Amino acid sequence: MAGESVAGGSEVAAPRRLDLPLVAKRAAGASFTRLVLDAPPDWDSLPGQFVNILCESDPQAVMASEGRVLGDEEGGEWPQTTGLELARRWPLVRRPLSISRVFRDAGRVRLDILVRPVGSGTRWLASRPAGSTINIVGPLGNHFAPPEDDRLCILVGGGCGVAPIFGLADYLVSLGRRCVAFLGAADVHKMPTAFRELPEPTHHQVAATDAVAEFAESETPTVLATDDGSAGFFGTATAAIEEYFRTLWRGEPVALYGCGPMPMLHALARIARERDLPCQVSLEGFMGCGIGVCLSCAVKRRDPTGGKAWTFRLTCRDGPVVDARDIVWQ
Amino acid sequence: MIRPEPDLGVTLGRLRMKNPIATASGCSGYGEELAQFYDLALLGAIVTKSITLKPREGHPPPRLAEVRAGMLNAIGLANVGLEAFLRDKLPALARFEVPVIVNVAGSTREEYLEVCAALDAAPGVAGIELNVSCPNVKEGGMEFGIDPATLAGLVQDVRRKVSRATLIVKLSPNVTDIAVIARAAVDAGAEALSLINTLRGLAIDPWKGRPILTNVTGGLSGPAIKPVALYMVRRVWEQVAGPRGIPILGLGGIQFVEDVIEFLRAGATAVSVGTANFVDPETGPKLVAGLREALERLGCGSPGDLTGRLEG
Repeated sequence: MAGESVAGGSEVAAPRRLDLPLVAKRAAGASFTRLVLDAPPDWDSLPGQFVNILCESDPQAVMASEGRVLGDEEGGEWPQTTGLELARRWPLVRRPLSISRVFRDAGRVRLDILVRPVGSGTRWLASRPAGSTINIVGPLGNHFAPPEDDRLCILVGGGCGVAPIFGLADYLVSLGRRCVAFLGAADVHKMPTAFRELPEPTHHQVAATDAVAEFAESETPTVLATDDGSAGFFGTATAAIEEYFRTLWRGEPVALYGCGPMPMLHALARIARERDLPCQVSLEGFMGCGIGVCLSCAVKRRDPTGGKAWTFRLTCRDGPVVDARDIVWQ
Repeated sequence: MIRPEPDLGVTLGRLRMKNPIATASGCSGYGEELAQFYDLALLGAIVTKSITLKPREGHPPPRLAEVRAGMLNAIGLANVGLEAFLRDKLPALARFEVPVIVNVAGSTREEYLEVCAALDAAPGVAGIELNVSCPNVKEGGMEFGIDPATLAGLVQDVRRKVSRATLIVKLSPNVTDIAVIARAAVDAGAEALSLINTLRGLAIDPWKGRPILTNVTGGLSGPAIKPVALYMVRRVWEQVAGPRGIPILGLGGIQFVEDVIEFLRAGATAVSVGTANFVDPETGPKLVAGLREALERLGCGSPGDLTGRLEG
């Protein structure tokens, strides 16, 4: 019988609007940037929650900031700005990004944010030099809830979607839970982590590695999966999970947790349904406000009252973490 | 905490506001979301999301597209419906000690009348903003908002049902001459006008070759529409509101205190802040504080001193 896996959210801290110093910036693989933000000592967030980040709206500042960062060893190489791209840059609404990990040390709190520079806002954000200030609203949304018993937690992240999964592993391990993580990407260069050396392909075998520092730090065994077989399992992360169940799983109770593209989450939800496992997934949403006002990030969900086949719920307020059974998959 | 000065007070019909800064419909939910960031009592008023007789799920996503200096939305009047609003949302809003203006949308005359009558009878409703200008749903009332005779008929009927709350009519910019519509609304009994609603627009994904919004078109809001809104406020002020002594609740792209001053000068008595709440949830109280400073700098005793005051 699947346990109740209703995502948590009733007792979260109220969001605040804060200017946070960007204390460090690191490349996370070839396509991603990790921002480390200094948060106030009373910062209180749980894995799965997100922050909504104000991006620059002044094109000249965008150019200046990119000028500072081009060729900089910290920032990596970003595409040269063309006039056309510059003219397109008018980020107005904030960009919602997962809180990847939270570090507490001697009264200081640091937030790790993983950025994939794809559009005007995220590219500007990834180009910010260390020492600048980032304006956030957060923490927002609900969070992953640990299982009620000591069952094995299988965590899966697809591409940049692994961001909150890193923090979830930290959290579950700190509660004494056992975890195994799966990280999937199109190829090894699209993995949002800085490998010390590139991991080897394992072809059709599921094998644990400690190559991903973010998981290794919580001693969470990690299975890599790539669509082109360039590292780890040759196939999707969810195919690797199915293979894991066939080969390595010892029959113990399991809870599934996932964050990534919708097709991956849908595949994970199918595994959960077939095996009758609790499954929480974190959804991505294009948001206007992040605080439940603009109603843009609506997703079809099972009607909790049972009165209708479905109802729209908001990813920002009634999510991003959702019981996989509650989603009306399209 | 920022404390507004009492001399910021304005009057919108029979509605007394302690300052001229309100939130715009659809950009402040039912109050509790923004109340996480500041005391809503700092605002002059809060305008709710549109309420319809029955609950509405709204349009399928994507419902929002960011465009240069603005955004398009096509939410589709998603709301909890009149019954749940009166039962759950209004009592919660009443706690905030801020005048509540309820935005009302409908598809038929009867629906508008039923919702307005129920709201007028409900304690804690200081104003009703008649949405006859939603560009996104067929039954969003826009057919009432683009024809002066149809609008006059609706406003007249609603006026008879509304005795306690101040009746504000929200005008669409998607018309040939907004002054014609404004005159019809005032002649039929509107106590105040709010303008402008969003401009109908289209966002296209050039590579996929399809509209970004499921609804195809959406309402454009944000800084991009401010000059259009200022022009329309000015036109309505000159042609109708000024001579008739009807207050205007101005909105469209307001983000900074300079924008507020500009709207007052164009002819607004008070303003609503919409999209800017998404950029900075604390915009409302910041504008209140900024306005007090700005009025001092301009040597004005009250915001009313600026209303309509444009040289040349």
